[in-house]
Amino acid sequence: MEKETVTLTIDGKTATVPKGTNVVDAAKSVGIEIPIFCYHEKMLRLGCCRMCLVEVEKMPKLMTACTIDATEGMVVKNDTPKVVKGRQGVLEFTLLNHPLDCPVCDKGGECPLQDNTFNYGAGDTRMEFKRFNNVKKKELSPVITLDRERCIACQRCTTYSEVIEGDQALVMHNRGFHNDIGTFNDQPYDTRFSGNVVDICPVGALTNSIFRFQARTWDLDNAKTLCAHCGCNCNIEFGARENELMRVVSRQNDAVDDGWICDKGRFGYEFVSSKNRILEPGIRKDGEMNVASLDEACDETVSKLKTIIEEHGPKSVGFIGSPFASNEELYLYQKLMRLGVGTNNIDHKSYDDTPGLPVAHYDFTDIESSDLTVLIASDPTEELPILDLRIKKAVTRLNRNLIVLNDQKTLMDKYASLSLRYNVGSDGVALAGLAGAIADSLKQGEAPKVEKLEKTTGIKPNSFKDFAEKMIAAKKVCVIYNPAALTGNSVAIVKNLLSVLNQKPEGECGAIPAAPATNALGAMDMGILPDFYPGGVSLSDDSKIKEVWGESAPTEKGFTTCEMFEKAASGDLKALVVFRSNPIVDFPGGDKIEEALKKVEFLVAHDMLHTETTALAHVVIPSVGPGFDEGTTTNIGGRVQYRRKGLKAESFPDWRVLAKLLSGFEIEAKYLDSFTVTAELAKKVSGYEEIRRGSIQKEGKTRPAQASVNGKTPEVTSPDSIDGFKLRVSEKLFAKDKILESESALAHHFSEPKAILNSVDAKKLGIKSGDRVKVSSGNRGLSVEAEVEDSCNPGAVVVSNAGDEYRVLALIQDHNATVQVSKE
Amino acid sequence: MTQILLKNFEVEGLTTLKVYEKLGGYKSLKKAFSMKPEEVLNEVKNSGLRGRGGAGFPTGLKWSFLAKDSFPRYFACNADESEPGTCKDRILLEKNPHLLIEGLIVSSYACLIETGYIYFRGEFQDVADLMDEAIAEAYKKGYLGKNILGSGFNFDLYTHLGAGAYICGEESALLNSLTGMRGEPRSKPPFPAVQGLYDKPTVINNVETVCVVPWIVNEGSEAYKKLGTEKSTGTKLVSVSGHVNKPANVEIEMGTPVSKIIEMCGGMRNGNKLKAFIPGGSSVPMLGIEHIDVAYDYESLKEAGSMLGSGALIVMDETTNIVEATMRLAYFYMHESCGKCTPCREGTRWLYQMLGEVLNRRGSPETIKTLQDACDNMAMKTFCPLADAAVAPVVSSIDLFPEDYKSFFAEAAATAG
Repeated sequence: MEKETVTLTIDGKTATVPKGTNVVDAAKSVGIEIPIFCYHEKMLRLGCCRMCLVEVEKMPKLMTACTIDATEGMVVKNDTPKVVKGRQGVLEFTLLNHPLDCPVCDKGGECPLQDNTFNYGAGDTRMEFKRFNNVKKKELSPVITLDRERCIACQRCTTYSEVIEGDQALVMHNRGFHNDIGTFNDQPYDTRFSGNVVDICPVGALTNSIFRFQARTWDLDNAKTLCAHCGCNCNIEFGARENELMRVVSRQNDAVDDGWICDKGRFGYEFVSSKNRILEPGIRKDGEMNVASLDEACDETVSKLKTIIEEHGPKSVGFIGSPFASNEELYLYQKLMRLGVGTNNIDHKSYDDTPGLPVAHYDFTDIESSDLTVLIASDPTEELPILDLRIKKAVTRLNRNLIVLNDQKTLMDKYASLSLRYNVGSDGVALAGLAGAIADSLKQGEAPKVEKLEKTTGIKPNSFKDFAEKMIAAKKVCVIYNPAALTGNSVAIVKNLLSVLNQKPEGECGAIPAAPATNALGAMDMGILPDFYPGGVSLSDDSKIKEVWGESAPTEKGFTTCEMFEKAASGDLKALVVFRSNPIVDFPGGDKIEEALKKVEFLVAHDMLHTETTALAHVVIPSVGPGFDEGTTTNIGGRVQYRRKGLKAESFPDWRVLAKLLSGFEIEAKYLDSFTVTAELAKKVSGYEEIRRGSIQKEGKTRPAQASVNGKTPEVTSPDSIDGFKLRVSEKLFAKDKILESESALAHHFSEPKAILNSVDAKKLGIKSGDRVKVSSGNRGLSVEAEVEDSCNPGAVVVSNAGDEYRVLALIQDHNATVQVSKE
Repeated sequence: MTQILLKNFEVEGLTTLKVYEKLGGYKSLKKAFSMKPEEVLNEVKNSGLRGRGGAGFPTGLKWSFLAKDSFPRYFACNADESEPGTCKDRILLEKNPHLLIEGLIVSSYACLIETGYIYFRGEFQDVADLMDEAIAEAYKKGYLGKNILGSGFNFDLYTHLGAGAYICGEESALLNSLTGMRGEPRSKPPFPAVQGLYDKPTVINNVETVCVVPWIVNEGSEAYKKLGTEKSTGTKLVSVSGHVNKPANVEIEMGTPVSKIIEMCGGMRNGNKLKAFIPGGSSVPMLGIEHIDVAYDYESLKEAGSMLGSGALIVMDETTNIVEATMRLAYFYMHESCGKCTPCREGTRWLYQMLGEVLNRRGSPETIKTLQDACDNMAMKTFCPLADAAVAPVVSSIDLFPEDYKSFFAEAAATAG
């Protein structure tokens, strides 16, 4: 639908803009700047600062350009003497009590107040009284400090808190001259997105406590790069001084982040200088780890692998990749394993998933245009925070609908028009039932036996129909699912549900596979899978594989991670290369994995930080990781973007390590930089043909969606009934892991894990909120505080994955994740 | 003189429903309910009644701007009387609460509104308590609630106390405050008649305005138009304060000369000479003795360079220190600025500082120039009219009494010498 437009003139220039555009944005569209402080294009029009005064024909007084809509035939004047005087007046008022401590202000050099004063100010003030003194350092949270004197009360931050974050945490107190931004009862302003107020503050009032007084902005080397914490891949600017990271700020990309980043992205970058970093390669000799050169480490790796291949065959070697690494690194690793070693024992995850979708692959902006978004097993607030903001935007400001389907309570529930809670472990049955309900409503299948389904899933019979009707009624449906939080073959069932939905006669639908890891989609695309080559090429597509990868490319299905650990435990897997992954902590059933890894004859760990896994390795190779590396990543929306280098690393970039290993296996690897790898993968990986440095420089590029391999309707298995509780591990944005260590600026967000019990179960066990309980399975037990809240249905317990030290995932020891809960 | 608002004020027990009814109270309901709502609206429109809160906008016209077919609609009665010098609503609320209730029922009937709120200023706790009693009586008698007097019309009325902010008398700030938000004006458009309380069409009328409606319904708009002048119809409550012998609320017919009003209040204190008067509350420019005979109506006062405003006549005699009086007002606006927009938040304080400078004999002609220019930079450039109100006394006092200001410089020079 074409949007209605209006045409107006601004300083004689004609601008045609969509109806509803304000005059500031209309002027911007024809290159005319109207100065602003309080207005922000992503937020409400406030009209507080009065900086944007303009003359509008037929209007007696000066108008604020931010609060008025452009109308047909409107004549705006931006440079008349009246306007000039009005703005000079406003700036004089603004500066009356401003401290003008620009020489020491963090905002200096990038301050709209400086810039507007420079461009529009009178050059002098007539203020002859002592300016009002106020608090210079008010710590709103451990990461945000307010300089009350510099605040010009524009209300951008409080509006942000109300409109964008949606929780009114930061508010204006008092009135008039004494107004003051703060929080209720002086509680810390410690939301997940608090740092954005530093970026939007038009003066140096809200400051980044870590960057405060550390450097001048013009001294920073800014790298336009990407955040590497989650699958959103928000655009950031990495500000370094003398190769030391000083700060991270957001870099607006409407197709991804809408201009916002979360606090983990902004403040969670201390790992670049962590004491725990692996700086030098090491080779274990007689149980002792000895420092080695990179060449020595690579040579050792190649020769040991070759010996093992010779003795036990390529199937005795496995590779566990990382969903956090770049496409280039992963591409080279799979090439090394497939063409060098000759195995498909390649994987990166602990759950079942396959590349491709039976429907369109949607991006962030599709959430805004979809009249219905459906969240399946996804908790964006903790897993993919910027997705949380985008959904809130769609629901609260664009009047879109949201359906939440999950086994645990999430903060998204309050935005949902329908919120369905299935029993932990019954996701497959629930999703198949819902797919059946859609098929039934489309008269394409039998009606599901909802009463029976209620018993297994806990979903009320009429909810199935309600869900189906809402899905069918919506013109555009965006389904967001988290494969990592689904069990068994549920991802296949979700895809089946999508296929069914796609049959509806009208409207469109698409999906976003929202695995939380940074480059989970890239890892799938790069073929870090035992059964797919890069570009979603199935092993059954023999001719295609031979055509692209040569005659010797292996086509026998490899082991999944689970199978690799089993084979390692049984002694069949002799060598394992682990790249930026710590399965002992991050995969379910860590203890068994640890035992298995100990049995591996030759374990190579290529990682950024020392982990439980690197501690067992025979060869350790440093990986430089985010901040130092360069390459592309593919976010959950299928957008391939450019991660630039922000800091110079002392060790080798990963592609160079890979080049050495490839050469060791006699594979030509004449790469000059990571982009030569990109150029190669663009040729080899279908979907990535258009990916080049130039094409992704600005906003990135969405790679075309892959079609999913058409399979049979997946089998649905009912969950086993168990003796005990099913454990649901919930993700935490600020978990105390290797990335956010105890010294992290975000340490105030850390919490101990909690066991959240349904009130029905709690009553049976006589447990109250606050009691200490023991959650145990096998020889693992975790003493935690209980919280009685109906987060999940009875029969399960939700435990938050609050940090590596708790080893929560080690509690999962069978495929049902059975645990016992007892009062301590 | 015809008394519409202050009628029966001397009768004991007027606040009770029994006495109020005995004196003909709630009579207009029956008549209104026998008419169609739009007929009642047209009657008010035809009467020429204008808003008594300060802006003087025609009431019937305001009602007719309500967004069509958008329901529910709300009535917000503005009892946030905070304009310095103004105490007319308070006396109506204190002495005759049922008159307001009656007015609200009839007005809401005309506007197809079923829910009304009376927003009291924070300091009006006692008045609000009294109103709650009156409302309870009215509910008991069936004047409020469902199916009033068998008419099929339902109307619920609630009272709400603000937290004591002048700005909440501004209609959109009032709506914010009423919903528990910060008392700051909203951007207009959308106007309250389209998107007001809870984003629904809302009528906001001053207490005095609403209190006139029953009389118009009872006696007819033609009778009302016979009172006052052609464009300023009816009567007006004027709160006379300052240097008169008997400061009081008086009800006058529109067009009564100011000199007559002063006379009604016992004339000037000690027989002193008038120096200046502020005709419509502190937010309007002051006038000098040459305007003593100006007719008290919207048009004449505007012509004289001021405004009728809220109807608070502040009388100052020759003993008045104009600079000090102006500074007192400047303090008020500094204290009451909500702080939302820059020129008002910063400007009101600066004006106060500069006036203090003059008063402390540290001023110079340059100070006056800066004062005037700062006023110019504030006027008509702020979000709401509070800053316009703040500059009115400053600008007019400098214009009218430049010698008073100068006298402080002269003394300054003398002290320095």
